[in-house]
Amino acid sequence: MEYAIEAQYLSKTYGEGRTRVEVLKDVSLAVRPGELFAIMGPSGSGKTTLLTILGLVTEPTHGRVILDEENIYNGRRPDLQCLRREKLGFIFQLANLIPFLTARENILLPLELIGITGKEARSRATELLKYLEVADRADHHPEQLSGGEKQRVAIARALANEPKVILADEPTASLDTERGLSVMRLLRKLSNEKRTAILVVTHDTRMITEVDQVIHLQDGRIVDTG
Amino acid sequence: MNLAFKDIRYNRLKFFGSTLGVGLLLMVMLTIGGIIRGIILDSATIIEETGANLWVVEKGTLGPFVEISRIPQDYYHAIQALEGVAEASPLVMAWEHITRPMIPTPLMKFMYMNTVLGTKTMVEPGWLDMPMDQRFVVIGYKPGHIGGPPIIISGRGIEASRYEIVADVKTGLHVGERLRLGNFDYTVVGLTRNMVGFNADPVIYASLNDAQDILFQRDPDLLRNERVRVESRVLGAATGAPRLAAPLSERARSLAENVRFLNAVAVKLQPGASPGEVADAITRWKHLEVYSAARQVNLQLMGSNRLILLQLSVFRLILLVISGVIIGFIIYTLTLDKIKEIAVLKLLGMQNWRIYRMILEQALLMGVLGTLIGALLEFAMEPYFPRRVEATWGDVVQMLAAIIIVATLASLLAIRRAMKVDARMVLGT
Ligand SMILES: Nc1ncnc2c1ncn2[C@@H]1O[C@H](COP(=O)(O)OP(=O)(O)OP(=O)(O)O)[C@@H](O)[C@H]1O
Ligand SMILES: [Mg+2]
Repeated sequence: MEYAIEAQYLSKTYGEGRTRVEVLKDVSLAVRPGELFAIMGPSGSGKTTLLTILGLVTEPTHGRVILDEENIYNGRRPDLQCLRREKLGFIFQLANLIPFLTARENILLPLELIGITGKEARSRATELLKYLEVADRADHHPEQLSGGEKQRVAIARALANEPKVILADEPTASLDTERGLSVMRLLRKLSNEKRTAILVVTHDTRMITEVDQVIHLQDGRIVDTG
Repeated sequence: MNLAFKDIRYNRLKFFGSTLGVGLLLMVMLTIGGIIRGIILDSATIIEETGANLWVVEKGTLGPFVEISRIPQDYYHAIQALEGVAEASPLVMAWEHITRPMIPTPLMKFMYMNTVLGTKTMVEPGWLDMPMDQRFVVIGYKPGHIGGPPIIISGRGIEASRYEIVADVKTGLHVGERLRLGNFDYTVVGLTRNMVGFNADPVIYASLNDAQDILFQRDPDLLRNERVRVESRVLGAATGAPRLAAPLSERARSLAENVRFLNAVAVKLQPGASPGEVADAITRWKHLEVYSAARQVNLQLMGSNRLILLQLSVFRLILLVISGVIIGFIIYTLTLDKIKEIAVLKLLGMQNWRIYRMILEQALLMGVLGTLIGALLEFAMEPYFPRRVEATWGDVVQMLAAIIIVATLASLLAIRRAMKVDARMVLGT
């Protein structure tokens, strides 16, 4: 298995006629397990659009996505919902925890979705909470947590199903530089230790110190790779 | 992990607040239904409880519940003798009133205040100090025959042949109380329940003779005048035939005094007797009209009470639509409030049916709890209404079915919208 996720010649257009906008043009990328991959670019360049396509939420106009060696947009239609809960993890700009669930329950939820419940689920959740240093907050509801704590619980949630790929859209944007950097270091550590491919969208250059690959998007095209 | 219950527990104020709102709306719906049923029962109870198959009244009239009907008293013996008749009970029933000092209740004041705002000139000043006329229906029956009070809730039934009455509790009378009706004093010996005329005037039961005295016996002075007047006219007419003068004057006097007529005869048939044949026999032979019990009820529902029933039904229909829309909106917005969480759950890969279930569980729980709250409040309030209000568990079940449909539709519409939401809403900017 070479790549955790691959995108080939992705393009995406919205609207028709005069309102037609080409948001992505021929974007290709490939990320190996354990790699930390950054997507950069100015506002409106198509970063979020690319991420929603990789996250199997938006269908590309052309091109294909290969997730864990499964070719997605290739005629037949796999159960995207199922692929998401088994192979993908999401980290959002705002933690977007489920407000009526405690930190622990927020982590138990994706486990339950893949059929892991009871003792095993609880010990995995506890382990993750410890790993992200929020174990003492396990039974708090999100509104009782600080921004950084919420983001760490959200990362724990994204890790719970042991995904092949984690997609993170500006996970540091709502945090100060210090906390932002610590989240980036955490992602770095995760990709190293858990062999997860992690794609991070950011437009903050300070955040890309420890990444393996960077692409720069502009007007939907990759203009620079590094 | 049941997400619906976790959500409710976390947002209990919002959920139970909305549920209470739904419950109050349903309470109003159930109440208006209960008011309509109350009017129908008020029209039907006396007829139903009498248990007669046929009601015999004066030819060309609609019967004692709707208009005045007079038939000579001795007719009932003849009807009794007909084949197929088990019992022919002579009945009188008509309105009577007593004048009491006004004791204005807060409700009464509230009603007048509201009236005064719109129709000032129609309300006399000082209404609070005026005496109050209390109306009721007097029913006279022969104790031991049908047509008497069906149940005694306190005291006893009429036993002495004269000057005893049984009153409906809504008259406000008490056992042992004495009151003057017509020219005599009567003692309340017992109370009954739910026996009111179609205008909700409560019933007073008396023996046939007493009731005839109360309802038809006029003031003794008036009667004396009347007798003299009739007599002198008859005598004047008889000047040409002096031999006739004495018997004519005798006849005239008895005419003026005669109070021995009935308003109706309630007929109970023998088992197996044909109501049609007996009715034919009665109408063929006497100047009478015969109605079935159901027809007597219907004459009120589709006659004197038709418009008020239709009026309330229109109001009920309006309420139904409004409540449906409001409850629908409450549930719809409650679901849309969760649109962000739904988007996150979708990204986490939660199966659609689980998302649908979570929303539907909440909507249905709200519907069921709301119905229960509405029903309990309605039942608790019923006794405080001035007239009979009677909602049934059947109404509640109907309401529940309607609310389940509304709740399901509203939440399905909301989820459909929520499911279409762009992942961009939560994923990033
Ligand atoms: N549903 C849509 N219909 C039409 N145009 C859209 C739609 N979604 C996004 N776009 C357009 O696509 C372009 C790229 O949007 P996208 O959100 O991917 O940018 P971004 O790189 O994430 O920007 P930012 O840094 O501000 O988050 C924008 O010009 C946007 O207006
Ligand atoms: Mg974006």
